[in-house]
Order: sequence, then C-alpha cells, then structure tokens
Amino acid sequence: MEITKDLTIPKLFYEKARSYGDDRVAMREKQFGIWRPITWKRYFDEVKYLSLGLVSLGLEDGDKIAMIGDNRPEGLWAEMAALCSRGVGVWLFQDCLIDEVKYIVDHSDTKFLFGEGQEEVDKAISIFHECPKLQKVIWDDPKGMRNYDQDFLISLKEVQQRGRELEAQQPDLFEKIVRKGHGDEVALLFYTSGTTSAPKGALLSHNNMLMMGKHLMEVDPCRESDDYVSYLPFAWIGEQMMSISCGLQIGYTINFPEEPETAQENIREIGPHVMFAPPRMYEQMTRSVQVKYLDATWLKRKFYEIAHNIGYRVADYRFKKKPIPPFWNLLHKLSLLTVQKKLKDHLGLSRVRHAYTGGAAMGPDHFRFFHALGVNLKQIYGQTEVAGISVVHRDGDIKFDTVGHPIPGTEVRITDEGEIITRSPSVFLGYYKNPEATEKALRDGWLHSDDKGFVDDDGHLVVFDRTKDVFTLRDGKPFSPQYLETRLKFSPYIKDSWVIGDRRDYVTAVMCIDYAVVGKWADEKKINYTSYHELSQQAEVYDLVERQIRQANKDLPESARIARFTNLYKELDPDDDELTRTRKLRRSFVEKRYEDIVNALYSDAEMVHIDTTIKYEDGRQSDIKTDLTIRQTGD
Amino acid sequence: MSTTWLPCSVYHQNYAQDHAWWQTNFIKGKMLVLFLVLFVGIPLYADSYWLSVCNSVGYTVLGALGVQLLIGFCGQVTLGHAAFLAVGAYTSTLMILEFPWPQFLLDWGLAYPISILVAALVSGVWCVIFGLPSAKVKGFYLILTTMAAQFITVDFLITQYISQIGGRGQAFSLPPGTIKFGPWVIDNDLKVYYLMIVLVTLSCVVMINLLRSRVGRAWVAIRDNDISAEVMGINVVKYKLLAFFVAGFIGGVAGAFWISNLAAISPEHFPWFWSLWLVGVILIGGVGSIHGTVFGSIFMVVVMEVLQLLIMYLMDMGFAWAEPLFMDFLFVKEAAFGLAICAFMIFEPNGLAYRWWQIKNYFNLWPFSY
Repeated sequence: MEITKDLTIPKLFYEKARSYGDDRVAMREKQFGIWRPITWKRYFDEVKYLSLGLVSLGLEDGDKIAMIGDNRPEGLWAEMAALCSRGVGVWLFQDCLIDEVKYIVDHSDTKFLFGEGQEEVDKAISIFHECPKLQKVIWDDPKGMRNYDQDFLISLKEVQQRGRELEAQQPDLFEKIVRKGHGDEVALLFYTSGTTSAPKGALLSHNNMLMMGKHLMEVDPCRESDDYVSYLPFAWIGEQMMSISCGLQIGYTINFPEEPETAQENIREIGPHVMFAPPRMYEQMTRSVQVKYLDATWLKRKFYEIAHNIGYRVADYRFKKKPIPPFWNLLHKLSLLTVQKKLKDHLGLSRVRHAYTGGAAMGPDHFRFFHALGVNLKQIYGQTEVAGISVVHRDGDIKFDTVGHPIPGTEVRITDEGEIITRSPSVFLGYYKNPEATEKALRDGWLHSDDKGFVDDDGHLVVFDRTKDVFTLRDGKPFSPQYLETRLKFSPYIKDSWVIGDRRDYVTAVMCIDYAVVGKWADEKKINYTSYHELSQQAEVYDLVERQIRQANKDLPESARIARFTNLYKELDPDDDELTRTRKLRRSFVEKRYEDIVNALYSDAEMVHIDTTIKYEDGRQSDIKTDLTIRQTGD
Repeated sequence: MSTTWLPCSVYHQNYAQDHAWWQTNFIKGKMLVLFLVLFVGIPLYADSYWLSVCNSVGYTVLGALGVQLLIGFCGQVTLGHAAFLAVGAYTSTLMILEFPWPQFLLDWGLAYPISILVAALVSGVWCVIFGLPSAKVKGFYLILTTMAAQFITVDFLITQYISQIGGRGQAFSLPPGTIKFGPWVIDNDLKVYYLMIVLVTLSCVVMINLLRSRVGRAWVAIRDNDISAEVMGINVVKYKLLAFFVAGFIGGVAGAFWISNLAAISPEHFPWFWSLWLVGVILIGGVGSIHGTVFGSIFMVVVMEVLQLLIMYLMDMGFAWAEPLFMDFLFVKEAAFGLAICAFMIFEPNGLAYRWWQIKNYFNLWPFSY
C-alpha cells in the first residue's frame, strides 16, 4: 500500500473497515472461555458512534484524549475514535499511580479521559479537580459503577448514543471529519518512561506511525490471516506498533486475553504468528521452562537435555552461518519432532513466524535458548521517538549480541562520541511543551538517542548501553552492566539484578530472587520462611545465588566479575520508582535509594542495616527495619 | 471450558465449537482408526471365539452404562440392575413369541427391532418405579431398595409368573430364525457382533450427548451435592427419576439385545450377582466416566476369559488340581472378581479411566510433568 503524506490512520481505518465489512474478524476478546469475534463492520460502527459522541461532547481538533486500562477492544475503540475525531491519543499504563496519572493528564492538557472501570474512575475522580482541562471521564465496565453520580462521569454507551443522535442529524459528518485529516498532524502523544527524569511527551504524527509499520513489514511481511495477541500495555510503543501501525495496515486479527493474569494461557490458545514483547516476557518463558524441566521425571529430563543440546549446536551453526552437517541435521529433525515441537506448543509459539524483543537488553543466553528451540527470535532496536523501531535482525542473519540492520527508509549513524543517531520518516515531531529537550534530541533531522553503540564488521548495529550507564572498570575498560545483569537473569532463581561497579575497585551486585521459584526450591529443601524478605536472607539461598553468580562470572574477564553481593529484601518494583513502567532499572535512583547497601558492598562489612519505607499500590506505606547479609563470592 | 487438552492455536469462537466432540485433527484421526478397527478390523480378523468375547464385552457395556449413569453421574447407588436387563429380555422375548404380529411386519423383519424399543420403554418405566424411593431415601437405604428390584422382579415375578406364560416351563427357547433384524437373520456371532457394535455406539452417543446437556449437568449437580442442586433450581426428584428411566431404557436395550445371542432365556441369566458384577465393572473402569465403562467391561470379560484359558492350559499340562477349578469355574470367577475389586480399590481407586487419562497427560505434557 502506498503511504502518502495525505494518508492518516483514520482514513486507513475507514478504507479497511469498508472493504472487510462483516467478512473478516478484526479482533477477538475472550469472555467466559469463548473467543468472541468482532468483525470489521462492528469495529467500524463502535468507533464511528464513539467518535461522533466525542464530537458532540465538544471535542475540537487537536484536543487530547487520555486512555487508561487493560488491553481490551474498548481500549482500541477509544483510541481509534479519538484519532477519527481528530483528537490526539494519550495512553497511560494501567498500573500508574495517582501522581503519575495526574502528571500526565495535567501536562498533556487532556480533555477526556477513558477509564476502564471503577478502579480507573476512582483515580480520575481523585485528580479531577487538580486538572482544570479535564472535562469528562468515560468508563465502559459497569461493574461497581452503580452508585457513582458525579456529573463528569459518562459511560461509553451513553457517548455512543450521543454519537447516534448526532449521526441522525448529520449522516455524513463522520466521513467528513475523517477526510479532513492530514498525515503530518499529531496522532499520539506518548510519554516516554524515562530512566532519569519525569516523563517526556513525544508527539508522533499519523505518517510517523504508518511509515514505521510499513518499513517493518517490508522486512518481515505479516499476513491478513495472521493472529496477534495484544496483552502488553497500549502505553508501550511496541504494542502500538503491532496493534495500530502494522495491524491496521495488514488487517490481521488482534486477540485480547480474558484477564491480564490469563495472558500466557490465552497466548497459548491463540498461537500468534507475530510477537513483540520486552525481554522480561521471554525471560519469564525461559524461567518457566527451566523450572518445569527441573520438576520433570527422569526420562523427560533426559529427552529435554539431549534435544536442547542438539538445538544449541544447530543454532550455533546458524549463528555462524555455516551449513549444518547432515548428521546434525538428522538429529535436529528428530529432536524437533520429539521435544521442541511439543515445547513450542506449551509456550504458544507453535505458529510464530517472527518473534521480536526490544525495549531493553536481552541476554545472549536467553537469545540462544529460543533459537535452540527453533523460534525465530529477533532483536529490535528503537524508541518511542521513532514511533517504535528503527533497527531489526533479518531472517537468517541473526547475531545475538547485535540488533541487526536499519529498516528501509532509515539511516543510522554513530557520532564521534559513539552515540547512535537516526534519521527516518518516522522520527517524531518533538516533545510536548518541552522545546529544550526537543532541541537536544532533534538536530538537523537526526534523532539523538543517548545510547552508546557501534556498527560491527557485518554492518550490524551493536547497542552497548545507555551512555550514562556504561561502566569504566578498574582496568579502564568500558563495560555494560546490563550484559552482566541479563546473564544473571538466565538463572530461573533470579528475577532481577543490579550490578554496580562504575569506577570502583571491583564489581558488586544486588540480587532479587524469584519468590515463586526459590520458594518452591526452599519448600523441597525444607527451609522455613514466611516472607520474601525472610527467604532472601537464608544462608542456603545465599549459597544458591552464589552458585548462579559463579556461573555468570565464568567467561568474564577477571575485572568484570562480581566479587560481593547481597540479596535485596524485596523485588524491584516500578511502584517504588526503582524500575520504569517498562521495567528498566533506574540506576541513578536506586543508587541513591540504596546508598547504604552500596556503601556496605564497598566496605568490609558483612551486614548492612536497612531502615526504610515501602509504598503499596493503594498508597499505604510500611516501615522496614532489617539486616542484609553481604557475601563474598570468593573468586 | 472444555475438559480436553487442546494443542496451541485451537480456540473456540462460540459455545458450539467449545462443546464439539472431536476438536483436533489428531482426535479425529484417532476416532477414525477406532471405528475402522471396530467396524471393519474385528469382523474381518476375529474368529468366532473372540467375536463371542467381544459380544460379551458389548453386553457388559450396555448393561454397565445404566449403572454408570445412576452411580457415576447421578450418585444413586444401585444393586439391582440385572432386573431391568431381565425385564428387557423378557419383554422382547415375549413379544416375539406371543405377540400376534401382522404378517408384513414379520416379513420385513421388524418384529425384533420393535420389540427392542418396547422392551427398552417397559424396562425404563419399571426402573422408574423402583427409582421412586430415591425421592425419599439415599445411600445405604437406596441400595437396599434397589436390591428389592432384583428380588421382586427376577426371583418373584419372572420366575414365578412370567416364566409360566405359554406353559413352556422355566426357559423360553427362541426358535431359529425368529431373531430377525430387517432382512438379516441374526444367527451367528458375526451378526450379533454387528448388532452389538451398532447398539453400543448409539448408546454411548446418547449418553455422552445427554451428559453434555442441561440434563447431564443436572445429574452431575445432584451427584455432587443434591441440596445445592435443589437450591440452584434443579427439580431433584424429576431428574433422579429421569436418570432411572434412561438407565432402565439402556438396560432394556441390553437385555433385548442379549436374547439374540441366546438360544433360550431363563431367570438364571439375570442373577443378583450380575447386578453386583456391573457395579464392579464401573468401579474397575472408573466411576463417572463413559470410557471407564468400556474399559471396565473389557477388563472384566477379558480377564475372566484369560483366566479360563489359563486353567484349561494347566489342565492340558496335566495338573490334576486344575480340573476341579475348571469344573467350578463360576466360583473361581466370583473369587477373581472379589480379588480384582479389592486390588483396584487399593491400587487404582479411580479406575482404569484415570490411568488412561494419566497416560494421555504424560504425553500431552511432554517434556514436562505439569
């Protein structure tokens, strides 16, 4: 399809919905155990009336409409309706705390807020009077909403009813409004999670979004008949890229899980053809496989081990782009048939053609793991400011320490300082109400990413790390802490890790155990514990974690090895601002927050005393007083 | 939610799909092979002896289905089911022997098929009559009332009165050629086998369909907790009696079918032990499972046959002590039955169906254990 400057997302939506009508399923939602289909005709009608309803509520061109809630058809309808009525969509993470919601709603000058149900409405009510621009709050799930009588609340159905009335008066109004749009107009206002500062709002045009999808699909074509599962937050640009940029252009079916908790199970039912998820999803899958493997019977374990070793061997041949010897090829076929096929079935990866990971670094161990399984997993490099992605692996040309080649229409260069800069039709318009930041990021049409990297001999881009996160080891060599952290996370027992060691004598780490896995391990070992905190401080657990660290230390240069570590008394959590909403570690923040621990790690202390407060999602706080052991790895 | 294990990318867009019988190609293929074996393979390759074994299995399945329904799905323990088989067998026999059939029905060979239907209905109604106490009593007391069915029907009514009809004495013999199904005279094991396999298939289909309907869900609710079932708005008495009717109906079919395999019928064909035997079949096969009914029937019949073959072999080998065992095989059989029940209660209390489920799961979950 030709993407002209005139084309907008609503125009494309209009065409697609018209041509597909009732013949094709636009989306499915699992309800009461059944994947209920929604045809393009119904999708179109829902969006049309919602959009006209917004117009009748007083929406004007360029007004901001914020959305918050789980992935569900209504969420996508709201976004599409906002775009169709020439508004600008703003997505919030569903687990945003009230302060974050308030900051974004207020900063973006949001006029209408779509909330899913009671929880979101409660958040909206508590900030309503602090956000003067906010006029109406729209909800769609009636559960628990009976006794809410604030006059700024309105249900999605009522809005659509208003839309129907407006259409009765002006039958061609919707088409007229859709026709008015231009590709360079702002479509989405996306708040970047920001590892350092308050979120910045990136303005993305219709053209940015569409070009990005088009270029990605030139590399890896999707098909109309594909299934895609939408379960990651819409507030993450990757999900927008798959659901809107690609989904709308190619017209594949978007499937919504029954509940966020059932997403993994629901993915398995659908068996999507395309997947894009941050590394933590793949890490989770790996962990569940490793744990289940440990619990399997002897025969099954042996089968798994042999098949997986064959898989690794064959994957390594492929990575090196060497032909696979016939003997290994035969073994590989056998192992595919006996183990890998079934394993992929368990993970819901049976039909997957392209699986992408991006948004954070993924460890080489995880990467090899999926290739050994026979999953075509590729790295993606991108950012919100280029409407998603700019660099991706090509089929058959995959190196697990790189992110691949730029997609068509995209130029990537490395500045003299080693910074990665990008120029493409998808580069954003600027930051909302933040000209300084815009000036810093956009220079002569080049987007400055603030990431360090280089291009290797095969023309692959290698992203080293965020500029500010690169370590200098005591021998003066640069080192990426993310690399070590992702290696540590390959152990099923470790959920998160935080490696410290910039300009220090040795490298240390703060570890977060995986409560479920280590808990089960402790149960089997008959180790008593009552809480995460207590479990993490058991001597046996320290032994366990130490073994995992030694494993990760193995092939590292001596100066990069972890010398001392401690187990943290809690998991790192975005609600405590330790991680971003996309679960990237906010290094400078945690360094400040856990200053005592860091100091203790770089002293001779064997204990560190902690006295702190933790915040719960509902706003409660509790004090924690505890002692953490510090352990020498003895290397 | 469907209870079958589904592979990745098999999903349902409506409830009809969700409740469909064979949801994957693998299952379709498996069932096709099964039907080929049942309808083509066995008739082609089995000799008369093994055909008669198969017929015994089929008869046991038909008899045990009703018991499975009452005990396994509706929670109404019954120990008198042979009575309803007897009612079916006698109704069918009497109709064939005594009913003044118009000649054209005889010519078309419809007398026997019609008699099967009537036998099933009579047996169903008879079963409802003995199910009436279930409106009031449960558990042990119900077991005793169902035993009354056995004694009143077989030992009293049939032996003392029904057998006297026509003045034939104890046994009703069926003249050759009277058992006619349409143009086919059922006169050898192969034809009995075909009749059996069709009836078993039909009965299983009916049962499975009933169980996935509102009726079946009501039965299961009553089994699990009759008070909550009533609270949910299920007419407990109505559904219990319906269960008795269906159980009696299938029992009637079983009885009427079995006369095709017998030259003569007498009350000794339906002893109280046979009622107990059918309960044993579902205990060994698995309570609350149609698969279990079939597995249990196969197990019980085949084990007994193998036992008999073993004793005959021992006799041939010249072991003198084997001879009395062969002479009194009926008692050996009863002892083996008792032993089998004990062994299953201890080692496999959920029956063969559970074992089958575990085997399937072993491969479904491959290469993991959960």
